Amino acid sequence: MHPPDELDEYLRGGSALSRQYRSESSPAPPHALDRRVLKASREAQGKSPCLAPLAFAASVLLSMALVLAIAFGPQTAKHGDDAPRVIRAVARADAALRLYSTDPLRARTPSAWLADIAALRRAGRNREADAEFRRFHSAYPGYSADASANRP
Amino acid sequence: MLEFMELDDDARLMLRYRDGDAGAFPALYARHKGPLYRYLLRQVRNAVVAADLFQEVWSNVVATRARYEPRAKFTTYLFHIAHNCTIDFFRRTRRVSRSEELENEALEPEVPEYQRPDVIAEFAEQQSALLAALGALPQEQREAFLLHEESGLTIEEIARITDVGLETAKSRLRYAVRKLKKSLLIAQLPGTERRELKTGRLNAPA
Repeated sequence: MHPPDELDEYLRGGSALSRQYRSESSPAPPHALDRRVLKASREAQGKSPCLAPLAFAASVLLSMALVLAIAFGPQTAKHGDDAPRVIRAVARADAALRLYSTDPLRARTPSAWLADIAALRRAGRNREADAEFRRFHSAYPGYSADASANRP
Repeated sequence: MLEFMELDDDARLMLRYRDGDAGAFPALYARHKGPLYRYLLRQVRNAVVAADLFQEVWSNVVATRARYEPRAKFTTYLFHIAHNCTIDFFRRTRRVSRSEELENEALEPEVPEYQRPDVIAEFAEQQSALLAALGALPQEQREAFLLHEESGLTIEEIARITDVGLETAKSRLRYAVRKLKKSLLIAQLPGTERRELKTGRLNAPA
């Protein structure tokens, strides 16, 4: 017959070892520590964890709205397949500019303006053509479409 | 698993706290603060470190309350967090100690404060023979004993918390009990016999 296992005996409870351990001093956390933990638990309830999923959902919705605005918004520069749509949008904006602009510089398209300058040159009115070209150049500084013929 | 069991009072309190009842927390805290503090203090044997870890454990409970599900006893949940915090502390301390050792190879290697002989001796002076013997146990054996004594956890629960097999947990607790019982018997012997036993000139009591 096996002797009783000292572990089984101990686990049954009420052993001398357990009694001795429980009779030892029982230090408790300092009161300051109690206060800190309890305060943190109250403060955390102020920031309810239930709001976290809502905040997450809101940020997802906001991100989706932003992505949709970038992808389908009218002011966006596009590449590839979207290019015709962009050209149409720019053309519409350009047409609106021309129709409603009070700025005489913007009232003509660049090509029409260059045609006017060329006509001035053909008529021998080079000084006027030069002045007009300078105005054209200040209005469309980046325009490169065969403007060289109109240069002074 | 508690899925098929009735919820214990602790789990109910924790669920109430999870669901926004701030008043449930102090009751839960009052029930467990003592055992948890003693578990940590007797594990790390340093009151400052124990206080830090104690706060860390409760902060974890508070921070993760939204995910709390009563799948096990609340005590198991709490002491699982405590075990993880303690293990992290021991790892951090060992890492710091090792890097300092590498930096100062010519010097005597530093030991973490909680392992310094003078700190241990100072701590031991303030406690009984049993607590001194408990402090002298290997950390895993000490932990198994403390988990059982402080929180009444079973071998299965200790194995789950410490992430070891049932037999390992049982073996750790068995060694701890054997050594602590021996220390109690030695403490009861007259002074001369005790000294002889410590120096190995007398056989230990059975």
